[in-house]
Amino acid sequence: MSAAPMWALIGLGFGIVVVRRRTTAIALVAAQSLLLGALAVAEAADARTGLAIAAGALIARAIVLPLLLLRVVRVTREPRRVVERHALARLVGAVLAVVVAAPLVPAFGLERAGAGNAAFALVVLGIVIAAVRGPVVLQAVGFLVAENGVYLAGLAVAGGLPGAIELGLLFDLLVVLAVAAAFGSKIHEEFGSGDTGLLRGLRD
Amino acid sequence: MTDAAIDRVNRVAAFVVAVPAGALAVTAMVRSEPLTGSWYVVDRAAGVFLLVVAVVGLLSALASPSSLAGSGRGFFGTRRPRVSYYVALYLFWATLLTIPVVDNLAVAWLLIEATTAASALLVASSGRRSALEAGWKYLVLTTLGLAVALLGIVALYATIGGGSLASLDWASIRAAGPGLDRDAALFALVLILAGLATKIGWAPVHNWLPDAHSEAPPPVSALLSAALLPTVMLVAWRVQLALAPATGGAASGLFLAFGLASLAIAVPFLWQALPLKRLLAYSSLEHMGILALGMGFVHPLATAGVVLHVAGHALAKSLGFYAAIPVLRAEPSFSSQPARGLAARSPAAAAAVGVSLGSLSGLPPSPLFFSELLILLGGLAAGEPAVVIVAAVLLALGFLGLVHALIEGVVSDREPRLRRSHRSERRLGSLTIAVTVALLALSATAYALPDTELVRDLMEALA
Repeated sequence: MSAAPMWALIGLGFGIVVVRRRTTAIALVAAQSLLLGALAVAEAADARTGLAIAAGALIARAIVLPLLLLRVVRVTREPRRVVERHALARLVGAVLAVVVAAPLVPAFGLERAGAGNAAFALVVLGIVIAAVRGPVVLQAVGFLVAENGVYLAGLAVAGGLPGAIELGLLFDLLVVLAVAAAFGSKIHEEFGSGDTGLLRGLRD
Repeated sequence: MTDAAIDRVNRVAAFVVAVPAGALAVTAMVRSEPLTGSWYVVDRAAGVFLLVVAVVGLLSALASPSSLAGSGRGFFGTRRPRVSYYVALYLFWATLLTIPVVDNLAVAWLLIEATTAASALLVASSGRRSALEAGWKYLVLTTLGLAVALLGIVALYATIGGGSLASLDWASIRAAGPGLDRDAALFALVLILAGLATKIGWAPVHNWLPDAHSEAPPPVSALLSAALLPTVMLVAWRVQLALAPATGGAASGLFLAFGLASLAIAVPFLWQALPLKRLLAYSSLEHMGILALGMGFVHPLATAGVVLHVAGHALAKSLGFYAAIPVLRAEPSFSSQPARGLAARSPAAAAAVGVSLGSLSGLPPSPLFFSELLILLGGLAAGEPAVVIVAAVLLALGFLGLVHALIEGVVSDREPRLRRSHRSERRLGSLTIAVTVALLALSATAYALPDTELVRDLMEALA
């Protein structure tokens, strides 16, 4: 794995921080997952079991989960686009977070140089996306970006992660995103919008 | 199937699940050797946590029909919301029962993540706006936190050199410890503990805890506070033990930091006039902080205190949440107002709240008084006087805050009696008596606990 795909993954993550439309953000995370899935399939090409798991992960991450989120977008049409200001400030904040966090990662035995830093950067980006984006769907996209960071680290481990763990992680991700989708629909039904800025009733 | 029939099935299922789990737990606690298999290890520590989860789960399942009475479609919005609630409850409970016994860090992580999905649905099950907010916040914060922990697990796996799933068994991690690169092991440790901290609700990543515990149905709140938090803490404790050869005392420092931060954040809220469930939620933050200190001191006295505290906290906290069920049914406004004058309004609820808050405050002869004393003495013996002094001051302030809440909530004002059923009063009264006896029995074990095989087993793992 060269540096170019890792930079592409991070670049897609930055794109999700600033895009206005939910569908665009879903397309970007799907592209991120597709790139990761293609890398996984290429790595596993000579091992049948690994290839099946990698292909399954690609289908789930790049197709099934984005389709699930698109379905939520379709059933939760916003009466007005959720207003999110300061896209540039969001982007600057995300860049700063990544620039500060990524170099903190020591070498921990991954086969590809820089993979640990890129993985941590993606996890940080996922957290930033969930923190700064208002729509429920975009916060769920933040989960996917963070999980993509962990997946990247797993790809760079010598011999890869055990198949049982990969399948378990995939199942957990599917369940959590399904629950998030249910919340998205319910929040929209109750509040008339998927804007988490409306969820501010609980205070002490 | 009618709601009454569904509730009957639930009552039977609760015993079917709890009795074998409880039997396994007791067996593990009395055996000299742990029960082991290819994927599980049921040692004495696991036995304690397994018993706590079994008992709290049983009580929560039995209390659920009362809590659900009169509830509408709520979050599930299906034709059978009660069935959906029970399915989520039993999935949550079943996962909680498995976590203490798994012998693998990665599998433990998978199970902890699985609890998030089921419990988030339960938190939001009432369908109220505030419950949706609490459930969504819980889902977002804990999912992202667990992603951080997962990255730490992958880093640890890579540092060990990969191999197979068995590389992440507790014993395998510990055996590999002396040969690990210290920086890489420390990086993995920090990520894993930071990630698990969001799930445990340690400050400063605790923001979801007061909302989720106060908005969930009371039986679910009891499971969250008395079972989930300590069970995930057990995993963090095992990580500390397993990585001790590689990281030295770094994990202890992290536990102490989380412990003091949690105490410092929680104590001011214990002085506020909060609704009962929200007060109990901040009390959970306080008690998880105490447990973190106990684990961080790494001394037999503190370890004995942790074991006693887990059990005592589970009983006292659960009773407090169950007491809220008849009160909320009779007076729904209690969910957003501080409870006052319960003694005049509902003597059974007043007694239950009195026992709960009295025990949680550390008022003798509560087992939590003895456990906190053991933990603080352990801290002094471990050479951490500064931490002990700060913790003691915070605990004293927390004690006064809860006693103040107890007096205000139970005996203040003359209020009209609540509309309540005699049956629910009798049940709550019986539960209060049973929990009081159990708490006193726990207090009686405090003197002998530091010299037991249980504590020696845990300390040997740390040596």
